Amino acid sequence: MVQAAMTRGREARAGGGFQQHKLAPYAFISPFYVLFAFFFLAPSVIALVLSLFRWDGINDPRFVLGRNYGRLLSDKVFAQAATNTAVYAIASLFIVIPLALVLAVLLNAKSLRFSNVWRAMYFTPVVTSTVAISLVFQILYNQDTGLLNAPLIYLGLEPIYWLGDRSWVKVAIIILIAWRSTGLLTIYFLAGLQSIPEELYEAASIDGASMLQKFFRITIPMLRPIILFVSIIVLLSSIQIFDEIHILTNGSGGPANASMSVVQYLYERGYTRLRLGFASAVGTVLFATVFILSLLQLQWYGVFRKED
Amino acid sequence: MGERFGQRLGVIALHVVVISGALLTVAPIVFMIYSSFKTTTEIFTLPPWLPPAEWSFKNYETLLTGWAYPYWYINSIIYAAVVTIFVLFFCSLAGFAFAKYYFRGKNLLFIMLIGSTMIPFQLILIPLFILMSRIDWVNHPASMIVPWMAPAFGIFLMRQYIQAVPSELMESARIDGASEFRIYAQIIVPLVRPGLTTLAILTFLGSWNSFIWPLMVLRGNRVITLPVGIATMRSQATASQIPYGEMMAAATLVSVPVILLFLMLQRYFISGLTIGAVKG
Repeated sequence: MVQAAMTRGREARAGGGFQQHKLAPYAFISPFYVLFAFFFLAPSVIALVLSLFRWDGINDPRFVLGRNYGRLLSDKVFAQAATNTAVYAIASLFIVIPLALVLAVLLNAKSLRFSNVWRAMYFTPVVTSTVAISLVFQILYNQDTGLLNAPLIYLGLEPIYWLGDRSWVKVAIIILIAWRSTGLLTIYFLAGLQSIPEELYEAASIDGASMLQKFFRITIPMLRPIILFVSIIVLLSSIQIFDEIHILTNGSGGPANASMSVVQYLYERGYTRLRLGFASAVGTVLFATVFILSLLQLQWYGVFRKED
Repeated sequence: MGERFGQRLGVIALHVVVISGALLTVAPIVFMIYSSFKTTTEIFTLPPWLPPAEWSFKNYETLLTGWAYPYWYINSIIYAAVVTIFVLFFCSLAGFAFAKYYFRGKNLLFIMLIGSTMIPFQLILIPLFILMSRIDWVNHPASMIVPWMAPAFGIFLMRQYIQAVPSELMESARIDGASEFRIYAQIIVPLVRPGLTTLAILTFLGSWNSFIWPLMVLRGNRVITLPVGIATMRSQATASQIPYGEMMAAATLVSVPVILLFLMLQRYFISGLTIGAVKG
């Protein structure tokens, strides 16, 4: 690898040995690093420092050492928000991912006609504004006249109080998450399916394998790297969930914090109540969580491997 | 004969499952469009999947005259367009450097770049907001543009596209005495148009649909963006007088143009999403 890089380097130099050639790449990448330092690195450092202070943004900050962290870890609402977020993440992992995987296999079937039309329909939620669609779902979840209760009422059953019940509200949010992200994950899986050699399936057919056998013995093992990649994406996006819940619950995360996510908790404490030091501690805890997940993802990208 | 019949049945079942799922997926969007032409009473009349009895444009009229909606629309377009122009320039330039140059510290800088894509920005939400208020950018368009002008993801994307451009083209231009920037502008940029289109779509869409950040930094009815504006239509209304019809008209106007754009440019959109998954 070193050898290759050196040869390539020599080739590049042989083309034109101007000073400009050496400085140009630094100039070209500098906008990113300047913006990164100012709007990302600096705020991260501020957050870390601020998490040790008590500050409302108006009076002087007061140094409190680890007290923000202590209070955070014993805070019941935070525990609730963390649990809710974990529920969303687990639901995405174990409901949305399998759903998307099966959907990708169906959409990839050769006997499916007009496949492009169906694909486009499944992908539309990916580009639809979250705020817009969350308002639509709010109407659909309406207790008495919502679309989702219509079949129950028709059958003479009790309508579900989707957004007012502590358990159902989570189901309502998971349904919205599934609606929004299944198509996106299907795009990834479809890309992965293209890379499975056709011969594997042909050979399996000759050996008399059934559809299910092919799915579990060929498709799943061959898609393993993509499944891993998608899982990490899903975990990261679950941790960030805010828009859907904020709109569906009118900004409350209710009823009684039963649907509140960690980012919503962060927003509420930091922005609404201006407990800036405390919110920075929340951010730092999240940061640590995401950092660990990110290392896993980086490893998947192969960044730590020596060869490209 | 029996096997043939079984296969036929399988194909039919496949179509039934795929099509009903597809219809279920677009149902909320259809409901939204229908509702935008309905009165509030009609929106809540069962069954909800019926088209409006009478296609009335009243909601749209009220939306455009009674609300600051046109401002929100123009703001959203301006923020998204300006940020997209900067992103295209900065990301292709940096992607070019990472794809075609060998320089000291490149590996470390690249790891930093990739590393930063993994950290969701919500985590620096509060300190970034504090920073904005310190430099007086709260309620200023710059807060919607400047911090987002050079996303690492875009640089990574452009690097993937530019790597595919043959280096010989650059070499011969260099022998002809072209400057490095001219090589970028006249050789690289025209050859990676598909990559730039992809990046433009993803950036525009990201800005267009963003919510939590404009919710925090923008105030004032004539400065906010569409998603924030639509959310305030709901949150500022009293429970008995929520303008559902107008909200659905607002939601339709914010999403339908984007959906149409997506249908036209699907290919670029999907290649942009999957470039990270199918690793090079």
